[in-house]
Amino acid sequence: MTESSGDESLSPRQARTFRQVRTVVAAVSIIAPRDRRDDWRREWEAEIWHFLATNPPRARTTLRVLWRLLGAVPHAVWLRQLDWRTEMLLQDLSFALRNMIRRPAFAFLVTSTLGLGIGVNTAMFTVVNSVLIQPLPYKNAERLVYMYGSFSKFDRASISPPDFLDYRAANTVFEAFAAQRLAGSAAITGSGDAERVSATDVTANYFATLGVVPLRGRSFAPAEEENAASVAIISYGLWQRRFGGDAAILDKTLTIDGRPHRIIGVMPPVLDRTLAVDVWRPLQLHGPGMGVRRFHFLRAIGRLEPGVTLQQAQASMDVVAKRLEATYPENATWHLNMRPYRDVIVGSIGRALMFLLAAVGLVLLIACGNVASLLLARATTREGEIAIRTALGASRKRLVQQLVTESLMLAVAGGLAGLVLAMWLVHTLRAIGNGILPRLAEVDIDGTVLMFTMALSFVTGLLFGVAPALHAARDDLARSLASLGRSSGSRATVRARDLLVIAQVALSLMLLAGAGLLFRSLWNLQHVSPGFDARHVLASEVFLPEKRYTDRADQQQFWERLVADTRALPGVKSASLTSMLPLRGGGDTRFWIEGQDRTPERAQSAQINVVADDYFATMRIPIVRGRPLGREDRTGPNTLLISETMARRIFPRTDPIGQRLVVDFGKEPFIGEIVGVAGNVAAFGVDAVPPDVFYFSIHQPGGFGRGFMNLVVRTEGDPATAASPIRATLAAIDKDIPLAGVRTMEEIVGDSMSRQRFTTRLLIGFALAAGLLAVVGLYGVLAFVVGQRTRELGVRMALGASRRRVFTLVVARGMKIVCAGIALGLIGALLTTRLVTSLLFEVKANDPIVLASVSGALGFAALLACVLPARQATRVDPIRALRSEA
Amino acid sequence: MHESRPLSLATVRVLVSIGNGARYGFDIMDATGLASGTTYPILARLEHAGLIRGRWESPAAAQREKRPARRYYEISATGSKALARSIEHYRTLGGGFDTSAPRPAHD
Repeated sequence: MTESSGDESLSPRQARTFRQVRTVVAAVSIIAPRDRRDDWRREWEAEIWHFLATNPPRARTTLRVLWRLLGAVPHAVWLRQLDWRTEMLLQDLSFALRNMIRRPAFAFLVTSTLGLGIGVNTAMFTVVNSVLIQPLPYKNAERLVYMYGSFSKFDRASISPPDFLDYRAANTVFEAFAAQRLAGSAAITGSGDAERVSATDVTANYFATLGVVPLRGRSFAPAEEENAASVAIISYGLWQRRFGGDAAILDKTLTIDGRPHRIIGVMPPVLDRTLAVDVWRPLQLHGPGMGVRRFHFLRAIGRLEPGVTLQQAQASMDVVAKRLEATYPENATWHLNMRPYRDVIVGSIGRALMFLLAAVGLVLLIACGNVASLLLARATTREGEIAIRTALGASRKRLVQQLVTESLMLAVAGGLAGLVLAMWLVHTLRAIGNGILPRLAEVDIDGTVLMFTMALSFVTGLLFGVAPALHAARDDLARSLASLGRSSGSRATVRARDLLVIAQVALSLMLLAGAGLLFRSLWNLQHVSPGFDARHVLASEVFLPEKRYTDRADQQQFWERLVADTRALPGVKSASLTSMLPLRGGGDTRFWIEGQDRTPERAQSAQINVVADDYFATMRIPIVRGRPLGREDRTGPNTLLISETMARRIFPRTDPIGQRLVVDFGKEPFIGEIVGVAGNVAAFGVDAVPPDVFYFSIHQPGGFGRGFMNLVVRTEGDPATAASPIRATLAAIDKDIPLAGVRTMEEIVGDSMSRQRFTTRLLIGFALAAGLLAVVGLYGVLAFVVGQRTRELGVRMALGASRRRVFTLVVARGMKIVCAGIALGLIGALLTTRLVTSLLFEVKANDPIVLASVSGALGFAALLACVLPARQATRVDPIRALRSEA
Repeated sequence: MHESRPLSLATVRVLVSIGNGARYGFDIMDATGLASGTTYPILARLEHAGLIRGRWESPAAAQREKRPARRYYEISATGSKALARSIEHYRTLGGGFDTSAPRPAHD
């Protein structure tokens, strides 16, 4: 017989179908063993041909053909397995698949529950792993140490150049020891638009210490450090962004702060991922302004000698610090504070991330509880099925294998759902975590994590999926069969499910309590007044190129003109300048009250804020006493304002107005009279204590040459729209000065809470997911219990119990579990929320309002979950329930 | 196939349908109402155990009718015995077994 003779009596449409089927059959035939392959293929072709020929050429026929064709796969596998004489995995798989399709609700619940647990855990652990656990992408990064300067009042200060040189000379613990200036910014002009980028100065061995080799060119030579040569190294990001990855970038000229620099190197992309710096210049340690031991503005990094620990290094450098203290009085209590480099990069978000990780761990536990609960419920309904299959000749091994296959199938489906969710979540986290999470560019789905969470869900599935099989197989066959008609379900199973739900309710209450506390903290934060009115204010940064604005008169003239021209813009109510923008921190200096001995012991310190006229009006900072700084301070004696806390601290009993302060500004001290007291303004965060601040006028005759100021503008409408006219105004004055860091004050206030908002938002999401899972679990248990007790409820109603009575009975049954769960959860919350104290602001970890409201909310949701099955119970028909007894 | 264990219910149905005259794979599916993924593995197993025999119909006849030749199945003597034993087993479990009427097919 020839195969080509096949499709002659088929309609054209069926002939086409047949040809397609034949392709499929030919492909599948590979599965069949070689000696049976031909028979197998011809049999399937013939059957399908016959089927097509005897059925009408409709779409339905095609569908039926395809459905039947599915059997070709197990058939071929079977033929192959007869060779192998192995057991029957594929049959189990197809059975499991059919089971899933037959109970879509069950399959959906298990899959989505597992998916949720696996998804959030994979996403969260991925972030934690990339940010906290993975080593930095540097060679032997664990040996890298970051060093702050430290003295009695502050352990995250900086290091002065002379101190650094002394430490370096005495160093015996570091293989390499480098310094960098605190990262600042620089204006890039020439080729393209003026742009403000992050920049810092580093010693020649800085990159070697990090263990990073330039991608192009070279790093700084020691001679370039000595002479402060006009050379620069740029980041990969800047190279791509500004120069389009120009291959001939080396030796090109880049104008930085008005001075031409020759580009000698490009750093690899790994640096962009951990340091946000675009331009590096050589740090001249012996240059002008570098010789004062009291001026601290460097940070050091070191690479530990192999075998030296951080503690040994600290001890060794502390000895040097003691010696310096003995020699130089200004070094009193100063020493180095060493931190693992990674901790510094990761910063304060670490704690919050670990907390979130613990939270998603709880979500996974609850999810596993739900899956266990669902599988147990199903096992009970399947006891009968298992009994029948045993009676029909299934071995125990066969049954277990079947149930294992089913559980694994659900776990795989859940895992896939989880993977999709995790990818989406990581994507979202990257979007909302921008600027909050360090090393964000390194975040990517982690295979290990995925495997781990999947394995966990597999184990859950297996444990609770197989237990009933073993149980049933052990059971007395006759008894199981006898109980078939009725729905019994063992008491132990019911109790196990109750306990599971209690645990779930308790765990989700703990999560909700944590989320509630964070939410209240955030609410409190958002309702703390930062001390000024952030609405309708636009802030931006203006840096004067040192080269062209060297003398003070030029600078003054520039600032005067900038404020005047900006104020003249339509829609602008007022404009001013400040050297210390709220919530952005600032620098401090020493001062004495006039008449006191000017000794270091008597010195106090406060933050310096140099402002232009109308600053307090523009920011709407209240003047508590006296008057603000204004035009009258441009001539005449030196004046200043102090902040409220400072006034209260240094003049607790006397009127501060009229008092005189001596402020240390390096060479000449500034001696001025206090003319007013300004309200406190948040400087380091709305949750931080407002620091002591003194305000000076930029126009003061004795005053201040300023190369950098923040321009603040109060507008009538949306402040963001003022940005481009202001930019045009600035360009009209000097086209080489970029307007940098343009933000509305509301954004700046928002930024200062971004970490809290990030943590709170995520935790609320996780807690809601947990609560939902717990409520679904509760619903499952109750629905199951009602189903089981149909007969009993029927009897009760036949004997005169009212529907209302039955309803109460079921709801009470459910709420008993819920109350137990809530009580346990409250205890757990009281024990564990103490761990979150460091993330809270003005709310106690055992805040009764939060605990009461989350308990209430969870209780209410649980009540709803009870009502549905209870209503179902009232619809039990006593007659039918009783008849099923027979 | 273990002698000690009864044939599965589906297997019994397949054997019964062959005994009742269904010869080809798809006809057996129609007769038993079982899906192809159940029917064919059973046929493979039964054939392997020698309870049924598969044969090709004459190619000449098929060519005359311009269609491909089909494979058909017959119960062997061992198959008849095993079937009888299994039916007896299910009777003791209390299940009635209709060995005559083919069930309607559903896909």
